Amino acid sequence: MEKNLHQPDENITKPETDEIEKPDQEDNEKKETEEKGEEEGGGGGGEEQGEEKTTDPDPQPEIEYTLETASEDIDRFLSNLSSVPKQDKEGDTDDHNEEEQDKEHVPVVTGVEIPGCLEKYLDFVEEEFSKHETPESKLKGYQPTEDDATYLKSVERISKLYSNLSGVFKLDSDKGPLINRIGRIQQRVMSYIEDEFRNLLEDSKVVIEPDHQKQDQASSDHCELPQSGDQSNPNPENDFPGYPSEVLTLLNKIAKEMISGGFESECCEVYLITRRNVIEESLKQIGFEKISIDEVHKMHWESLEREIPSWIKAFKQCARVYFPGERKLVETIFPDFPSLSDSLFSNLTRGVVIQLLNFAEAVAISKRSQEKLFKFLDIYETLRDDLPAIDSLFPEECAKELRAETTTARCRIGETAICIFCDLENSIKSDTSKTPVPGGAVHPLTRYTMNYLKLTCEYKDTVEQVFKDHSKIERADSTSRPRNYEGGGGDSQNYNNDENQSPFAAQLMRVMGLLDANLEAKSKLYKDISLSCIFMMNNGRYMLQKIKGSAEIHQVMGDTWCRKRSSDLRNYHKNYQRETWTKLLGCLNHEGLMVNGKVVKPVLKERFKSFNAMFEEIHKTQGSWVVSDEQLQSELRVSISAVVIPAYRSFMGRFSQYLDPGRQTEKYIKFQSEDIETYIDELFDGNPTSMARRR
Amino acid sequence: MPATEYQGSFLGRISIRRNQVIAMDGNHEQELEDLEHFQKHVSDRFSELLSPPPEDVPADALLSISWLRKLLDVFLCCDAEFKAILLMGRDPSQISKPPLDRLIPELLERAVKALDLCNAVTNGVESIRHCQRLAEIAVSALENKPIGDGQAKRAKKALTSLLSAMNLDDKEGTNTKTAERSWSFGRRGANKERAPVRSLSYQVAKNWSAAKQIQAMANNLVAPRGNEANGLASPVYIMSTVLVFVMWALVAAVPCQERNGLATHFPVPKQLSWAHSMIGLQDKIGDEWKKKEKKGMAGLLEEMQKLEKLGQSLIEFTDSYQYPGETEKVEEAAAQVAELAETCRRMEEGLVPLQMQIREVFHRIVRSRAEFLDVLDQGGKSSMPLV
Repeated sequence: MEKNLHQPDENITKPETDEIEKPDQEDNEKKETEEKGEEEGGGGGGEEQGEEKTTDPDPQPEIEYTLETASEDIDRFLSNLSSVPKQDKEGDTDDHNEEEQDKEHVPVVTGVEIPGCLEKYLDFVEEEFSKHETPESKLKGYQPTEDDATYLKSVERISKLYSNLSGVFKLDSDKGPLINRIGRIQQRVMSYIEDEFRNLLEDSKVVIEPDHQKQDQASSDHCELPQSGDQSNPNPENDFPGYPSEVLTLLNKIAKEMISGGFESECCEVYLITRRNVIEESLKQIGFEKISIDEVHKMHWESLEREIPSWIKAFKQCARVYFPGERKLVETIFPDFPSLSDSLFSNLTRGVVIQLLNFAEAVAISKRSQEKLFKFLDIYETLRDDLPAIDSLFPEECAKELRAETTTARCRIGETAICIFCDLENSIKSDTSKTPVPGGAVHPLTRYTMNYLKLTCEYKDTVEQVFKDHSKIERADSTSRPRNYEGGGGDSQNYNNDENQSPFAAQLMRVMGLLDANLEAKSKLYKDISLSCIFMMNNGRYMLQKIKGSAEIHQVMGDTWCRKRSSDLRNYHKNYQRETWTKLLGCLNHEGLMVNGKVVKPVLKERFKSFNAMFEEIHKTQGSWVVSDEQLQSELRVSISAVVIPAYRSFMGRFSQYLDPGRQTEKYIKFQSEDIETYIDELFDGNPTSMARRR
Repeated sequence: MPATEYQGSFLGRISIRRNQVIAMDGNHEQELEDLEHFQKHVSDRFSELLSPPPEDVPADALLSISWLRKLLDVFLCCDAEFKAILLMGRDPSQISKPPLDRLIPELLERAVKALDLCNAVTNGVESIRHCQRLAEIAVSALENKPIGDGQAKRAKKALTSLLSAMNLDDKEGTNTKTAERSWSFGRRGANKERAPVRSLSYQVAKNWSAAKQIQAMANNLVAPRGNEANGLASPVYIMSTVLVFVMWALVAAVPCQERNGLATHFPVPKQLSWAHSMIGLQDKIGDEWKKKEKKGMAGLLEEMQKLEKLGQSLIEFTDSYQYPGETEKVEEAAAQVAELAETCRRMEEGLVPLQMQIREVFHRIVRSRAEFLDVLDQGGKSSMPLV
């Protein structure tokens, strides 16, 4: 801003000036003022006080001056003016202070000599402005011309003239008309550059293309937007809607001129509105639709579920790209005005944050249901993880408010997430169906609950945090009742009474306890004790497998639980063995077969008969039972074979000889021990195959 | 905040008494007394809102910023008291039987709609702030004495933007109407089509309508009759009415998305003594609205109306103004500028707190709703899932 660069085409301006001068006067200016001004100018030259005067009022201004020479004189005048009363006047100081200072110094500066060329200069400059402000030659963002620079230099000069002179000469002084004229010119150019400012901000919002970035890097003297890490930028949605560096330079200059000219408010309004619209537009483009809370509330989960990823994307995009980008942009355009930048940035983004949070609030108050938990946790994580990124961008006061708002939304989501998780309790309790699952297979409730728990535990750290944070809030809140999930850890059903157990783990244990109790009750629905054992084994096994299959849930349940569960399973197994097979083995008991060293044949026949019948019956029923876990199935078969086959083999070995070979043997010995093995291997696969067909 | 002080003592009293009588299962006399108090408080609070402000404090006029803030305070107080009556120390099963099992979910539905209205109004306040800043530009330009031509033009430009921002068609949330550009310099000859000047005005959602929301809230609002009128149905009705009224008044005052046809207010039975002041307010606001409906949709906010009126007349002034101006006109304008400056000052002082208070109301509604759901949840485990 120091010295104007002289243009080489200085001479060309001269003839042009004379031609255009007259139409311009008639066109734009009030002749009266013009004439008056000239008189004043002349008068000013007359009553010179002789200090600080470097330029003699030129005797023939109309002939000698050009825009350039007049500008030079004005610059000199301005710099002298500012040096006199020791006012710091570099354009970017606070304009309010300037005015006050000017007023204070009025007595000192009354001797200001208005150079004779001033009126002439104003003529020139008005003409320059008119030429520049035609649509063909407006400020061009992408190819800023020398012309633009000269233009803005003139704007600066006019602003300085106005602020300096209006401080010295009041409008109601004899210099009034002159001041008025300068004021009018200033208003006109300010209005013009305001439009340009708006146009540039609106029209130039382009996504920075990769090739453009290269260009930016080449001319490294200006700030670029955004440089946030993404080198190749494969993802267009990571782009911040910014401006090429030439445009930024121009925006920066215009902002500076507007602010130092005292048009800060206009500048800020334009900036706020256009940028806010850009953000809205960008959010729309990445698929974030505004939905009212009422609508969210009524929405089917399937539709709402689809909106949540868009919201998460929008939130992250704001936190990681848009807001940092806005922050940088505002600092690039208003680098000398940090508090202004702060307030512009806050005003711009605060509403966007609140709007985003409203969606989270809306989701949080939507009807609770089990399947929502995981999306809730996604939202929770977004609010938790992306807040710090935003936080640092805001000035403290605004950051505080937004932190509080975000925390509130996060709590609400967290609270609801806990309620949803705790609703699992109710869904277990309310599953009171009286129909046993055929074949003692894994109950759907077990499957559902275990899969749900496993999924929940994939969010383990988050859920743990949610439970911890929320429990605190709950206790502090006296009007709402404490929910049952608290203190669940102390229940008798729990395997793990560790004092340090986290609230989530406690709740999980509680759920497992309830599930156990529920299954226990369901096992009673089976009339056959063996089958109820199989049912318990199946379900227990399923739980154990699920827990062992996922490190997270295993961690929560702990080894103690697993060991306990395994030993429970062994007990069921033993009970089953006893119920089914001990009875059968009773047939093979040697006792009572020998009387006085002799085998009692009818008894022996009876034994074989009942063994055959019993085994056939077992094969028939238990063949239709279901053990879908292969390992469990084979464990069962192996353990059955291990007790039955040796006993049968030895019984046969000992007593088959007492039966007459042929028909009798055929009648009573229906199975060879290999047959027994085969039949045992047919148990628990859910097919009620009868032996008859096989034989 | 006065709201909290008020509710503090009241809640304390109720909770102590409840604790004493809790074992007696719904001491009916006690309950009737509580209800009476509640009605009386509601009535008192609204009659305070209705009473004209003292001459020396014109800032408190009907539908002014500070009046709206009082209104929100009233809402917060009523809400606290209402919850105390319905929830404190009460067996959850009591509020989950008929007719409350229907009335409370209805109230909670209204609460959800109120949340959107809060947000719409917050957006509206944002655009009011924009208007305020434009008015401030005009003030700072016209406060100069004497006024230069440039300053007059500057003021005129700001005021023209102000009026066009005020008269936006509120059907389009994000407005695309071209503002008046007659003030623009430059661009001679080529009146090229340019991007419309957009203003600060944001949607709640596409196709969302404040008017429809209010109507939906008022739709099933029916005063309890017969036996119900003496029971807990009555405070639920009162609170619903308060909620709808407060939202309606906010929407009347602050520009927001799609609010046509709200001049006719929802009916509140005249025989209910607590409602007299509210009905009085309804009539007053309704009349204002009808007067205003024909011209623009800037909202009835007192300060905005001032801005509009002063803005128009100052535009006329700046239109014909030529330095150094005619003394008489200049003096007349100076008075208006002073009034405009005063209005801006009130807006500067009041709008941000108003905005924060609306947010507070928002959060309160969410919280109260959650508390009710909690209790209903416990009381009505066996019945249908709620809301």
